[in-house]
Amino acid sequence: MQNKNTISNQQIKALLVTTVIGVGVLSLPSDLAMILNNSGWIAIIIGGLLILPFIIIMDRLFKLYPGKTFFQIGRKVMHPIAFNIILIIILSYSILLLSYASRIFAEVIKVYLLETTPTEVIILTMLIAISYIARSKLEVVARVAVMIYPIILGFIIFLIVINLPNADYTNIYPLLDIEYKEIPRGIMAVIFSYAGYEILLLALPFSENNENSLRYCMRGILMVIGVYLIVFFITLSQYGVHQLKREIWPSIAVIKEVDLPGYFLENLDGIVMAAWVMVVYGTMGPFLHASGVILGDIFNVKFHELFVPPLIPIIYSISLIPDNLIESDRIMGRILNYFALISIIIIPTIIFILAYIKRRKDKA
Amino acid sequence: MGEIISKDLKKNIDTLKNIFIDCDDISYRFIDIGKDKKREACFVFSDGLIDKVLIGEYAIQLLLTLSDSGDVELNLKSSGLEKIAKESIAIPGIKEEKDLDKVVDAVLSGETAFFVDKADKALILSSRGWPTRGVGEPDTETVVRGPREGFTETLKINTTLVRRRIRDPKLKIKNIQIGRRSKTDIAIMYIEDIVSGGILKEVNGRLDKIDIDAILDSSMLEFLIEDNYLSPFPQIENTERPDTLAASLYEGRVGILVDNSPFALIVPATIGTLSQSAEDYYSRWTISTIIRWVRLFAAFLSLLAPALYIAITSFHPGLIPTVLTYYLGASRVNVPFPAVIEAYLMELTLELLRESGTRIAGPIGTTIGIVGGLIIGQAAVEAGIVSPLMIIIVAVTTIASFSLPSYEWASGFRFCRFIFMALAGILGLYGIMLGIVVLSTHFARLESFGIPFSAPYSGLGIEEGDLKDTLVKAPIQKLQLRPIFTFPKNRRRMGKR
Repeated sequence: MQNKNTISNQQIKALLVTTVIGVGVLSLPSDLAMILNNSGWIAIIIGGLLILPFIIIMDRLFKLYPGKTFFQIGRKVMHPIAFNIILIIILSYSILLLSYASRIFAEVIKVYLLETTPTEVIILTMLIAISYIARSKLEVVARVAVMIYPIILGFIIFLIVINLPNADYTNIYPLLDIEYKEIPRGIMAVIFSYAGYEILLLALPFSENNENSLRYCMRGILMVIGVYLIVFFITLSQYGVHQLKREIWPSIAVIKEVDLPGYFLENLDGIVMAAWVMVVYGTMGPFLHASGVILGDIFNVKFHELFVPPLIPIIYSISLIPDNLIESDRIMGRILNYFALISIIIIPTIIFILAYIKRRKDKA
Repeated sequence: MGEIISKDLKKNIDTLKNIFIDCDDISYRFIDIGKDKKREACFVFSDGLIDKVLIGEYAIQLLLTLSDSGDVELNLKSSGLEKIAKESIAIPGIKEEKDLDKVVDAVLSGETAFFVDKADKALILSSRGWPTRGVGEPDTETVVRGPREGFTETLKINTTLVRRRIRDPKLKIKNIQIGRRSKTDIAIMYIEDIVSGGILKEVNGRLDKIDIDAILDSSMLEFLIEDNYLSPFPQIENTERPDTLAASLYEGRVGILVDNSPFALIVPATIGTLSQSAEDYYSRWTISTIIRWVRLFAAFLSLLAPALYIAITSFHPGLIPTVLTYYLGASRVNVPFPAVIEAYLMELTLELLRESGTRIAGPIGTTIGIVGGLIIGQAAVEAGIVSPLMIIIVAVTTIASFSLPSYEWASGFRFCRFIFMALAGILGLYGIMLGIVVLSTHFARLESFGIPFSAPYSGLGIEEGDLKDTLVKAPIQKLQLRPIFTFPKNRRRMGKR
C-alpha cells in the first residue's frame, strides 16, 4: 500500500521541470541576444550547471536530517526568530514572483487571446484557479505536474517540427564568437529562468526513495537546459539575432512566423495559448502552495489551506502596481533577480552550512 | 441476543404471530408428526419467497409419511431435533437456531422455520426460491465478441457467475448485511493472495460505518462509501458483467455485490479503468488501442465541443481558417441569439429529449425521437433560431458522450460541459483552459480508497508499465504483470516466456 504522504522521484522531476519552466522562457531568447548576441546559449548552459551544486546542497541537507522537513531543520539549526525572518524573505520573494508571473501572463493573454478583457479580470480568474491547486496537498501538486509535463514536452516537439521547414539555420552562426566579459551579465539574466527549483526544499523530504532523488533532480535540470537551448536556437534561427533583440516574447511569437499550407487552424495562437496557460499554472501553483505552507509554518499551524486565500488579494494588488509591461519588467524583474539570488542560492547555502556545523558538534 | 425459543410450541407461534401481526404474507402450517401423530409441529414461512415444491415434497411429505420421525422420548432434547433433521428432512441446507430474532430474519429472507413441540430450538430450512429474472445479456455493456452473461437481481446467482470464472479457494466471498430495515445482503469478493490488505481494510471499514435503514441499489452503497461524494465523477466502477468483475478481481481489486441490484461495484477505480471496456480484452490489441484513443477523444468532445464553438464564434474567429469563418458567419447571420444562448438552448433541448426518451420506453419513445430529431433539428434551423453547425455540434457531443464505456463517468463530463460553456461564454478560450487546469487538479485531488484516481496519468505506475494497459492496450503477451495501482501482493500473472 502506498504511503499517503510520499511522492515518487519521477513526480519530483516533473514538479521540478514544470515549476522551473515558467514566464522566464518567454523573453529568455531576446534577453540573452541583447547581452550575448549569438552566443547566448553559453549562458543557458553555465546558468543551468551553476544551479546543480545548489540542488546537491539541498539533497545533502535532507540527508543530514533524514525524515525532517525544511522547516524542522531550520528551526533546529537556527534561532527561531532568525529563521522566521528567512521565511519571510522567501515568502516575499514568492509573492513578488507570483505577482510578476501573473502580470506577464495576463499581458500575454491580452495580446494573443482577449484583446478587450481587462487585465484585472484575467489576473484574478487565474489566481482563483491557482488557489485551487495551492490549497491541495503536495502530492496533488506533484500529480498535476506529471499531467502537465508531457504537454510541455509535446509543445517543444511541436515547436521543433513546425519550425524545421522554414527556419534559416545560418542565423545561428557565429556560434562560438563569445564575448567572455558579458557572460556574468548573461548568467544574471538567465538565473531568473531557473528560479523555481527551490520547490525541492518542500518536495525532497517527501520523496519515496531518497537514495535516487538526486539523480532525478539532475535529469530534471538537464531537461530544462535542453528546453531552453531548443527554444533559444529555434527563435534565433527563425529571426536572426538582430530581429530577435527587438521581439518582446520571441518564444511565443515564433509560432506566428510559421505558415504551412493545409493546416486546419489558420494561426496556431490557440494551441500555443493553451499550452501557455498550462505552463504558467504549473509554475504558479507550486509557488502559491509553497507560500501557503511557509505562512502556515510561520504561524506554527499544521495545515496551509487557510493561508492561501488571503495571499490572493496581496498578489493581485502587487501585480497591478506597474503601469505597463516595460515598467513591470524593469522594476519587478530587477528586484526579483536579487530576491531570487538571495532566496534560492544564499539562504539554502547558509542553512546547509549551519546544519553541517550543528551535525558535527552533535557528533563530537 | 433477542428472545430465546421456548419449549412450548404454542407460545413460540404466538410470539411469532405477534411479531408478524398484519403481515399477511407469513404462513403457518401445522402438522402432527410421530408414530401416533402425537407431536405437533409447525412450519413458518413467507409465502412467495420460498420454493413450495421443495418444502412440500421433501419436508412436509416426508415428515408425514415416515411414522417414526419425531418419535423420540417425549422430552425432546436437542439431539432429537438433530435426529429429525438427519433422518426425516431431505433438504440440502438445514441449521438449528435458538434465537427468535434470527428466526424472524430467516423467515423474512425466504427460509422456512420448523418448530417442533417440546424442542427449544427451531430448524431453519433453506428454501429460498422466489421468482427471478434469468441470466440475460446485460443492457449497458454489450460486446460483439465475448460472453453475453449479465448479473441479475439475485445475489446468489451473481456470486455463482463469478465463482464459475475463478475456481480458486483464494477467492473469498464474504456476506454481510447492511440496512437496519432492509437487511440487504452484501457480498465482498476478493482474491486473498492478490488483493492489497490496505484496500481491503478500507473497504471493510467504510462498509462497517454505514448506518442507514435501507439499501435499494448498489448505487446507494456506492455514494455512501465514496471518497468524495461532492464530485461529479464516480470514484467507484460499476459493471453488469461477471467477466469484467472477475478480471478486476484478478487485478487485485475488490468487488462488492448487492442483493437486488444487477450492478456490481469495483474498487478502487481510476481514470484508466473507467475508460476501459470488456471488449478491449476480447478484440485484437491494435483495434483496442485505437478504440481507447477514440474514447479519449470522445471524452474531450463531450466535454468541450459546445464550449469551443462558443469560444471560437464569439471570441476568436481568427483561429480557424478564413473560409470556415465566413461560413460560420453566414450560417449565423439570421440567428437572433448570441452563441452562448444558442448553445444552452440546444443543449437543454437535447437533455429534455434524452430524459423523456429514457423514461418512456417503447413506441412512444421512438415517437419522441422522431419528433425531437425532426422538429428540433430541421424546423429550428429553417426558422433561423439556431445555426445548422450548432445542431451538428450538439449531435456530435451527445454521440461522443454515449461512446464512453462508463455511464457515470460520461455523466460527469456531461455535467461539466455546462460549466465549460459558461466559462467559454465569459472568457473564451482562456476560460476553457482555466476550466481544464482546474478539472485536472480536481482529478488529481480525487482518490479512490486511498489510490490516486488519476493513476496512471499522474505518476503512479508510469515507471512500472501501467500505461501498457491504459493509454494503449498491449498484446496479452506483454501484460505479464498485474497493474501496480492496486498494489497487488502478487504481481506476476503469466509465466515468463
